[in-house]
Amino acid sequence: MAEVLLGIETSCDETSAAVLVGGGWSGAPELASLIILSQDIHQVFGGVVPELASRAHLAALPAVVERALAAAGVSWSAVDAVAVTQGPGLVGALLVGVVYAKALAYAGGRRLIGVNHLEGHLFAPAVEDAELAPPFVALLVSGGHTLLLDVPAWGRYRLLGQTRDDAAGEAFDKVATLLGLGYPGGPAIERLAAEGGGDPARFTFPRPMIDEGLEFSFSGLKTAVLHAVRASTDLAADRAALARGFQDAVLDVLVTKLERAVEATGRRVAVLGGGVACSRALAALAARRLANLPNRARVAVASPRLNADNAAMIARAGWWRLAQGEASDWTLDARADLPLSGLEPATTHPASRIPHPS
Amino acid sequence: MSGLWLAIDSATDLASVAVGTPPLARGAAFVQGARQHAAQILALIDQVLAPTGVRPKELGGIALGDGPGSFTGLRIGWAAAKGLAQEAGLSLRTVPSLMAAAAGAARLLGAVPIAACFDALRGQVYGAVYIVRLDVIETLLPPTLATIDELAARAPVRPRAVVGDGATHYAAEVQRWSGAAPVPLEELVPPAVSILALLDRKGAAGAITDPATAEPVYGRPAEAQAKWEARHGRPLPHPSRRGS
Repeated sequence: MAEVLLGIETSCDETSAAVLVGGGWSGAPELASLIILSQDIHQVFGGVVPELASRAHLAALPAVVERALAAAGVSWSAVDAVAVTQGPGLVGALLVGVVYAKALAYAGGRRLIGVNHLEGHLFAPAVEDAELAPPFVALLVSGGHTLLLDVPAWGRYRLLGQTRDDAAGEAFDKVATLLGLGYPGGPAIERLAAEGGGDPARFTFPRPMIDEGLEFSFSGLKTAVLHAVRASTDLAADRAALARGFQDAVLDVLVTKLERAVEATGRRVAVLGGGVACSRALAALAARRLANLPNRARVAVASPRLNADNAAMIARAGWWRLAQGEASDWTLDARADLPLSGLEPATTHPASRIPHPS
Repeated sequence: MSGLWLAIDSATDLASVAVGTPPLARGAAFVQGARQHAAQILALIDQVLAPTGVRPKELGGIALGDGPGSFTGLRIGWAAAKGLAQEAGLSLRTVPSLMAAAAGAARLLGAVPIAACFDALRGQVYGAVYIVRLDVIETLLPPTLATIDELAARAPVRPRAVVGDGATHYAAEVQRWSGAAPVPLEELVPPAVSILALLDRKGAAGAITDPATAEPVYGRPAEAQAKWEARHGRPLPHPSRRGS
């Protein structure tokens, strides 16, 4: 009898459900279906409106789950367990998914597991690559997070560095707004940057903290773009070069820190996760530069639909937690600031304090 | 109305559940404090359902307080109901949460005008006025977003009592309107019990035709939506949805 796990994700503005099927909790499951419903309503606001996101989740979630079950060819009676994002994220949005998931589990006498959204991103490449397993270094970059982690084993995480201000994806969104592009900003900037627009070095923006350890800072870069936009006498003509210059700066910082983390830890694999990891430019740059390191690390990155917020990664992380014998009870609650279980702070790891090798 | 029904109301700080064969409740439970709702709602449901020996899928249906009230509170009750109802395709029916609150006071006062007011912040309440009779509910003022003084001006009669957290929050205005002290919800039977009692009464309950997409009556748009619509002079466009 196969084990079937239903995953649910509502941490921000994607309503998502997925079904994993496996031949035993200790083995690697297969992705049977993944449905992601994006809430386009936020585009007119240039960012996610939490109350509207919460309302949309409630109106959409049951149909999204039905679609996931139908696509997987699975009946309700076959579902053994439910995994749901507990946090971090928008608390109102999380609450809808958590309470709904608890009710589904209660109604069918199923096991329930609350999942940390960040741990879900770490598991995302493992949804497609059953062989992927720690140890590895992970760079999680999204609209809400910019984290460098050392992962010696599933469930054990060492914080190497994080952003001191804006998340990388947040910087993309804000710069996209400055350039008059749509929301979300990352895909729009990547498309525009790929168009070229003359001399790629026309706008060279600073690389904040590039020579300092494993921490990040993007707010100054955003301000530099603002000054360049204000100084431009023909923004329409400069827009592509500005996008290119900004993207080059962000990706250079991200990959430089990732290189440093790989060198410091000696890991042979670097996982990219989060919405910004949908960027082909980031994956390509990271793969090229990490392959040139002495330990020739390889980059593992999931396909774009598994890097965006999605329920498959939540289900995969939940699957692992259930396999460890963990389960949540009916008092499971959403937490906007849910800490990553098993995370050691940056100060306990020497790699976070290493100087730049140059 | 056949079989055992579950009732849920979470429109205010007081979330309540009840189980019974309408109009009678066999068991009820509640929790006070909005921050407890999400954590406790399933535990409350289990608390009233487990002693009956009836499994969720064997229920006759689920009755919901449909607001208006706390946005988050409403969603918690509705998310629970949708999750419980989905697998077995249970019927969902709704009763205005304000009506359930007024019905609690009607048990004590009888068929007289009773106003229910829930705090809507920014100096306003969600308010309504009802006469709860044994066979029919008379809605004298439907759920309205207003100040207490505005409600007093719009209501066709002076209520004998005003119940709810909106009433206690604006006690002086309520005293002026009704001539009586406000009645806290905590002094009445839990709203979920009243929902079961009202389910068969004319003028009380509505059916949900599409439980999957149904939403509660929030009572006001999201603030960002209201500002956008005021700025653009037109309704927020309905989002086109894309799925993969």
